[in-house]
Amino acid sequence: MNEPVSGCDVRGEPLKEWVAEEFSSLYNEHSRAIYYLTLRYLGDPQKAEDATHDVFLKAFRKLDQFRGEASFRTWLYRIAINHCQNLNNAWQERHIHSGVDDSVWENAAAKTDSPLRVLETKELGQRIQKALDGLPEEYRLLLLLVADAELSYEEVAELVGQSADAVRGKLHRARKSFATLFEANG
Amino acid sequence: MKNHNRLTQQQRQQEELAAHQSQAPSGKEFAGPEDLLRFDAAQTSVPESIAERLQNSSATVAPPSARPWWKRVFER
Repeated sequence: MNEPVSGCDVRGEPLKEWVAEEFSSLYNEHSRAIYYLTLRYLGDPQKAEDATHDVFLKAFRKLDQFRGEASFRTWLYRIAINHCQNLNNAWQERHIHSGVDDSVWENAAAKTDSPLRVLETKELGQRIQKALDGLPEEYRLLLLLVADAELSYEEVAELVGQSADAVRGKLHRARKSFATLFEANG
Repeated sequence: MKNHNRLTQQQRQQEELAAHQSQAPSGKEFAGPEDLLRFDAAQTSVPESIAERLQNSSATVAPPSARPWWKRVFER
């Protein structure tokens, strides 16, 4: 690739257009991952649409702050997680939230190594959402991040601010909890 | 000729079956929650309205400074 310019001309195009064009290709590459995370994390398609828009706009505004220490997707995920957590915190401040004790999941019947069988995929999204909604927020986020094959355990650990070992331990419980809820909703 | 017709018919039936299975993948089995979520993500399409809104919103935002962020993004 050619050297960057400090003025406004890249490949004969104004900088703004060039940035928009390159940003558009980044959007095409990562929008599904970000939309899916916000959709299943927030559990509301309209909120997910707004959040995805806000996340990419924030990324566009702060592109010059991207230091390249992590992958671009990890950087986007960080913005998305902060955004979703702010939304959830604002919601929880207005509503009484009853968390479920961890021991409930410890005693759950589902096995983590059993496959999940699905007879009908037509309303699978709703069933998945119901199961995710029943999980503690931390477990929900972990499962969604680990499901992205592009992220390593270390990257997931960094995104949730924990060690990779802690992530592995929690992930085990998250899988078990999800399987219990998913089977119960079947 | 008859053999050829039978083969064509068999092929057609197989193609129809394959098409039906891809449209309605009933009785699927997933190795675990991540596998299931990956399948769900692949089935989820991003609303086109987001790109349209983003285009409008970013047009009113000043472009990021010309620091070589792109070099780190595109040369990875």
